[in-house]
Amino acid sequence: MRAFAGRADHQGVTQQTGRRRLTAAGLALVVTLVALLAGTGCVASRQEPGQATAAVADALAEAGSAGETARIAVGLLDEGRVTGPVADTVLLDQLRVLDDAESALTTLVPPDAATAARRSTGLDAVGDVSDAVVAARSWVAVRSGGDLAGADGVPSSSDDLLVELATALDATDAALAEAGGP
Amino acid sequence: MKKLLAAALGILTAIGGFVDIGDLVTNAVVGSRFGMSLAWVVVLGVVGIVLFASMSGRVAAVSGRATFEIIRERLGPRAAGANLLASFAINLLTLTAEVGGIALALHLASSVEPRLWIPVAALAVWLVLWRVKFQVMENVAGLMGLLLVGFAIALFQLGPDWGELLRQAVPPSPPGTEHPASYWYYAVALFGAAMTPYEVFFFSSGAVEERWTAKDLGTNRLNVLLGFPLGGLLSLAIAACAAVVLLPAGIEVSSLSQIVLPVAQAGGVLLLAVVVLGIVAATFGAALETALSSGYTLAQYLGWSWGKFRRPARAARFHLTMIVALLLAAGILMTSVDPVAVTEMSVVFSAVALPLTYVPILVVANDPGYMGEHVNGRVVNALGTVYLVIVVVAAVAAIPLMIATGAGS
Amino acid sequence: MTSDARERIVDARLHLLGRQVLDADGEPVGAVDDLALAGPEGAGAEAGREAHIDAILVGPVLATRLFGGRVPDSRLPRIAWDDVGHVGTAVELTVPSDRLDAVWVERWVRDRLIARIPGGRHDPEAEE
Repeated sequence: MRAFAGRADHQGVTQQTGRRRLTAAGLALVVTLVALLAGTGCVASRQEPGQATAAVADALAEAGSAGETARIAVGLLDEGRVTGPVADTVLLDQLRVLDDAESALTTLVPPDAATAARRSTGLDAVGDVSDAVVAARSWVAVRSGGDLAGADGVPSSSDDLLVELATALDATDAALAEAGGP
Repeated sequence: MKKLLAAALGILTAIGGFVDIGDLVTNAVVGSRFGMSLAWVVVLGVVGIVLFASMSGRVAAVSGRATFEIIRERLGPRAAGANLLASFAINLLTLTAEVGGIALALHLASSVEPRLWIPVAALAVWLVLWRVKFQVMENVAGLMGLLLVGFAIALFQLGPDWGELLRQAVPPSPPGTEHPASYWYYAVALFGAAMTPYEVFFFSSGAVEERWTAKDLGTNRLNVLLGFPLGGLLSLAIAACAAVVLLPAGIEVSSLSQIVLPVAQAGGVLLLAVVVLGIVAATFGAALETALSSGYTLAQYLGWSWGKFRRPARAARFHLTMIVALLLAAGILMTSVDPVAVTEMSVVFSAVALPLTYVPILVVANDPGYMGEHVNGRVVNALGTVYLVIVVVAAVAAIPLMIATGAGS
Repeated sequence: MTSDARERIVDARLHLLGRQVLDADGEPVGAVDDLALAGPEGAGAEAGREAHIDAILVGPVLATRLFGGRVPDSRLPRIAWDDVGHVGTAVELTVPSDRLDAVWVERWVRDRLIARIPGGRHDPEAEE
């Protein structure tokens, strides 16, 4: 059996055209991907007064979201509509969010006195929410049969806990309003 | 009767198999931030995936050739190689997200740390790929995924103001608190989530696995035409649950545990258990499909023997590829990266990668050399051209939007 | 090429390169990654002169096609053109893949890794 490769040239049938262009396109793609992965990982601390205030507002909005989530989870567990493990996971996830919000505030360099004051109020508010969520986790642990009786900071009832959460959330809302948030 | 049952099974698995971790997370995030104002994107994405999947299923059934064989034949080894590299990387990202999703869902069910679940999940996925028959795998994962219907039940039990939901959706009215760039960023992400490219590799290769011929085209069309839109309704139900419960409280979804809160509120522990099981099944099914897709793409490009219908020893490099992909996915997750963040990244890059598979399929579906009398009709081609524009615009816009919005934050 | 005593024109670039190669049992062996050409009477192929296909090259040759460079001829896994039975949408061989040296990588992965994992030879389609 014989086959004729009619259009064969010196390099067998290997095609040479367009290689350089494609390599360049490939390189551009890789560079974009790397730049993106690097860029999305780090959020710069904002420096301008307006930007710094917006960063405070962002962090407070996150903290507010976390606090509201905790409030729903506690309410649901109290009504027996959610299992202990799920409620615990919800609260754990929110502690991570609060951690992010706090580190966004602590790493911020305030450009003026007004922003510094807002940042400080914000940090207090985020701290309050964190405390309330930590207390909520202990309460969940107690409800799930954990032996925490007599330990500090374990709320005796869901009502106490919800009040604590509500107070912290009010502080967050106030700080958010001050920072020009919604 | 048997035919009817088979058709029903196909449709049901298509519904259950539609939602994966990308749909789940993106729809909930969007619902909690933008209400139903991005519902139109889900509709757009569903029509797109129906068009796309039925085309690639038809190409595979008629020509007996799977997507990447054709891409290489059409584009030549160099352009197809670049395409393979991008598709494989994004598919790996999606696989990572799905395995992470299984671990997160099992964490919800057990409160055992997700990092302990990751190796278990990866091993379980591999065992199914290694051992279980293709059809059984497909049907069980798809039927179990149907449990996500719990989101729709929850929505009805919540008794929302339907008029308000509709007002958010038509005409789309994004909340004033959000920046328009964020709105469009999530529009692209949602589109990428609905039209994930791995579905196409999986659909076309699955057709070869199940030995479809031109005779099966009717079944294929029916599964896709009924199954995917109903699956899209599940996506909308997830978004609506978040819009009803989380949006008014000012909650932004950042974790899987928040997504199930509306379900617990509506249906209590029982419905919650159903939905968590559904999430495990849906992410598990999608992990199987993406792991297979990693083997399919590479083996088809290089001409290796592939397919689950063969004994593993008769498709050795195909199985090795899947093992390596799973190890990589588990390895990435073990670095404590947040699976939800990986998911958000994967849906956006899916949007970027869409033209890479969409364009060759559209071209081949019009080539009588492959398709004979089954080339695209006029309606399909008109729709196909419209989607060509949409897909390219979304792909081009994705990365600039991602940079401009800091990934939607 | 001559087949079934009937002449058919085959464009090497269009109908051969990148095509799937199947063995005598219809199992995929690889893709036509490149072709080795030879001139008349065993001489090297020269531009503008009559040439015929000596062998199908599979595997690592693809890397040199994409990125340039050369692999010594002795290192190129090749499938002799004499083993080709039919050229359709795929290139079909007349020998089973076990007799081909060119697919040693698949064989190595199979014998050293995949077949050693329990269940590696299990037929997934068989009823249990």
